[in-house]
Amino acid sequence: MLKLNNLSKFYRTDEVETVALNAVNIDIEQGEFVAIMGPSGCGKSTLLNVIGMLDQPSEGDYFFMDENVASYGEQKLSQIRKQNIGFIFQNFNLIDELSVAENIELALLYHDISAKERRQRVEHIMDKVGIAHRAKHRPSQLSGGQQQRVAVARAVVGDQSLILADEPTGNLDSVHGQEVMEMLQSLNNEGTTIVMVTHSAAHADYARRTINLFDGYVVTQSMRAAS
Amino acid sequence: MYGNYIKLALRNMAKNRLYAFINVVGLAIGLSVFLFGMVLASYERDHDSMFSQRDRIFTAGAKFSDAAEIGVLETNSIYTAMGPLLQEELGEDSLVARTVTREFLLTVGSSNDSYYHTVTFADPEFSELFDFTYLSGDNSALADPLGLVISESTALKYFGRADVTGETLTLDHEHDLVIKAVIEDIPSDSHFNSNLLTERDARLFAALDTLADIRDFNIDEDWGNLSMGDMTYMLLPEGRTQQWLYDQVNAVYQRHSPEGQIEFIPEVKVRPLTEDNTMIWDAIGIPAITSVQLLGLLVLIIACVNYTNLATAQSLGRAREVGLRKTFGASKGQLLLQFLVESLTTAALSMLLALACLELIVPLFNAWSSKVLTINYLDIFPFLIATTTIVGIAAGAYPAYMITRAAPIDSLHNSMLRGNKGGLFRSFMIGVQFTISVFMLASVMVMYFQNKQVEQSANIFPKDNVIVLERVGVDAIKARHETLRNQLMNLPGVEAMTYLSQVPFNQSNSASGVALEPGDEASEILMNRIRVDEGFLETLNIPLLKGRALTRDIAGDVMEAESEVVNVLLNQTGARSLGFDDPLDAVGQSFFEILGEQSRAEGLTATQFIVVGLLPDQNFLGLHNKIKPTAFMIQPPWLNNAAIRISGDNMVQTITEVERVWDEVIADYPIQQRFLDDVFNEIFIVYETMNRVVAGFALIALSLALIGLFGLAAFMAQRRTREIGIRKVLGARVDQIARLLVWQFSIPVLWSLSVAMPLAYAASGLYLNFFDERITMLPLIISGAALGALVTAWLIVSVHAVRIAMSSPIGALRYE
Ligand SMILES: Nc1ncnc2c1ncn2[C@@H]1O[C@H](COP(=O)(O)OP(=O)(O)O)[C@@H](O)[C@H]1O
Ligand SMILES: [Mg+2]
Repeated sequence: MLKLNNLSKFYRTDEVETVALNAVNIDIEQGEFVAIMGPSGCGKSTLLNVIGMLDQPSEGDYFFMDENVASYGEQKLSQIRKQNIGFIFQNFNLIDELSVAENIELALLYHDISAKERRQRVEHIMDKVGIAHRAKHRPSQLSGGQQQRVAVARAVVGDQSLILADEPTGNLDSVHGQEVMEMLQSLNNEGTTIVMVTHSAAHADYARRTINLFDGYVVTQSMRAAS
Repeated sequence: MYGNYIKLALRNMAKNRLYAFINVVGLAIGLSVFLFGMVLASYERDHDSMFSQRDRIFTAGAKFSDAAEIGVLETNSIYTAMGPLLQEELGEDSLVARTVTREFLLTVGSSNDSYYHTVTFADPEFSELFDFTYLSGDNSALADPLGLVISESTALKYFGRADVTGETLTLDHEHDLVIKAVIEDIPSDSHFNSNLLTERDARLFAALDTLADIRDFNIDEDWGNLSMGDMTYMLLPEGRTQQWLYDQVNAVYQRHSPEGQIEFIPEVKVRPLTEDNTMIWDAIGIPAITSVQLLGLLVLIIACVNYTNLATAQSLGRAREVGLRKTFGASKGQLLLQFLVESLTTAALSMLLALACLELIVPLFNAWSSKVLTINYLDIFPFLIATTTIVGIAAGAYPAYMITRAAPIDSLHNSMLRGNKGGLFRSFMIGVQFTISVFMLASVMVMYFQNKQVEQSANIFPKDNVIVLERVGVDAIKARHETLRNQLMNLPGVEAMTYLSQVPFNQSNSASGVALEPGDEASEILMNRIRVDEGFLETLNIPLLKGRALTRDIAGDVMEAESEVVNVLLNQTGARSLGFDDPLDAVGQSFFEILGEQSRAEGLTATQFIVVGLLPDQNFLGLHNKIKPTAFMIQPPWLNNAAIRISGDNMVQTITEVERVWDEVIADYPIQQRFLDDVFNEIFIVYETMNRVVAGFALIALSLALIGLFGLAAFMAQRRTREIGIRKVLGARVDQIARLLVWQFSIPVLWSLSVAMPLAYAASGLYLNFFDERITMLPLIISGAALGALVTAWLIVSVHAVRIAMSSPIGALRYE
């Protein structure tokens, strides 16, 4: 599904050059569930942002569905992004001025979808993640686990085939974290590709493959025996 | 404690420099404009303080009814016949003094140097009312019928020195007057030097009795002449009120005014001397001084709103600070005070900056306007303190209230930053600003287009190609009219020439009652008379609709003293007023003068006018006047002006030639010439200045509003970065996000338009009412102004919207 070829990312700030990713080679197949682990500051989020096309690589190639998108401009990336990729963040990133339903609908708003169909799909997905009874609430009125479920719903409501989750359980207690992981797993079982950054070895166990990063390098890639 | 607050305030300003800068500079601009308006208004309303009896001196002026139809509501002049009657009525304790200002040819001493100069003729009591500073002579000078009082600079101009008592000035080559006193120049801020419309050059005073002799009119019996600037001053007796004076004056007027006068002048207005300087604005019905004050206040309001808006927006970012302070025990009152001290500090800094600006503006303005505005800080100190306090509190109250009322837990969680608290208020404030700005902008544009219209309709006369020769009405020159005309017509550059009683744009109405049948008083109408000569139509490019032009070759075309029948030209309105449905039918018909009682008693016969030609309706009086029924006739004694149309080539040479011919033919009088265009501009410049002044205010107001919007948009965009980041990650395009931000600001701007447009429509009426020919596309112009403001607002907000929409979303999402 996507392939990173000697891909590097540098940040230049006031004479200091940070190498966030150093000639990374990663291959991810359709339908995989990949966990990315590593100490803080090793480049996990950067990797996820590059994969999610929120950030452009400094060097190297990035093939997304056999298309080299490394040199694409924001306009084109945005097109690909909104068709294919859903995001889940550690801090949920919901908009407080909007209700739960409206937050989810946001992911459809910029697609060419009629208001009626948008509403149906939002209702369907809210049922699925068990948040329907909170449809009219504001994010600030929900618990963290509920907020993250809204975020998951928002990430998949547009039928995105790839979900990128940056420490989705980082702000949650273990019970709620467990819930979210189970949701991701069931999505993966339905065929959605998932790339997830996590600090928790237990949560990484949900993934079939773990990539360990250290200081911008891919250190190990370990496959878990299919269960 | 307060010192601590001020330190905090300054530190906060240093931290947020852009906002502090916008706030201080914005408020300073608002304050400068407001203070300047106040200083100017109080200057205009506090004239003549150099005269010790100022507060007891009042003036009498005619108030006109609608029936008078002369385009002004009042004048500061009343008939000279009123003077002695008033003195009698008011008694010994009062003083009544009249002045009449006329222009004369002055010959200096025994030289041949002659100049035209206005001389103010005054009753002897005049010297008792106004205590001038005498450099030589004393206030008995005007008691001498041949005496003159001259101002220092006039003496220097004509004699090159100031000690000129005993010197002679000759009026019109025949009347010798002797200088009896020299006075210090009258300061600019005296009504003697007000020159809004009329030049009242009062630096030469003579006895009123002398004028009666020279110009041969019975001043004490005159119920016919009203001329702006010809004053009747009255000293209010001790212990009496203005109302008492008004009652006395009007009792005299009712008792003595000639029959029928009351219809046109229903009452005599009595005003304190201090009002004379500004009464012209009341007269023409445009409250200019009040408008300047109001505009200044509006600009200040816009500046305050800027502060309030930015401070409100910015204070949200300080919620955490406030939360902490509360958690540690600060009371609501203390916090409120802290924020108010902050806004008061800003206001005080702005006030200092504004005063510095005023120190620069006032001298520049004085140099430009030849006014002598001064700022007496001691006098206005309390006012400045009050203004600073009010501005500080008005601007800072809302943000202070809003930030301090929140519960500490909310502040700590920074949930305020997320919510839309104060959003409605901010919208409302933006709306207020734009209402004011659009209102001003629309008014400016209406004035501009109306002025353009006035200018355009003035172009029916070839004003750039017509030279006007003035003061050719004295007998000595009249005798040589024929020669002058023949010689001028021989010049290659001269295309046409005529003598006439008034040139276009001269605001002079000389009307008499006429009717189709002799003695038919029931259908009497007022007909303006303009005296012309051969060549009139050619010179001014006036087309003839029917009939023929007037010529001296036909005896019936020239009106002599004994003429009983005379041929005239008539304009369309004149024909219609006489009762011709089709004005063309008037040609060949007659109408008759309606004689007054006295003339009938003297056995005079009513003149018969035969219409030999019909002219189109053109606004001969120009500018704000109505087109009136007008008859044009050749009547030699009235021909005081000449108009010469010259060709567009070699204008300079032609003018030189004209001057040469004049000097040959009329060596004993200086030529007085100017372009017809200058005659037009003399008054047009007042409208243009008004337009410019309002435009200046509008420009400042709009700039302030836009700066405020810019600051606010920057803040709101920053506040919404995270939301925008989310939207972008979810696939929103740059233009979709930009539109979202722009829309947020469009709502208040849009509703403000719906308030401002009707307001502007109403206010425009105030200006337009002054004119007879008005622009018709008022709604279009006002909508144009509104659209202009809207588009500018959009552009300003778009700058931020596009910038933020283009930026990468990750930063916004990662760092909370
Ligand atoms: N916008 C940026 N500018 C400069 N340096 C950055 C930026 N974003 C990330 N970095 C740096 O790149 C490195 C990797 O960061 P990140 O991918 O966020 O690490 P992780 O998510 O693994 O904690 C860190 O050293 C970080 O400081
Ligand atoms: Mg990270």
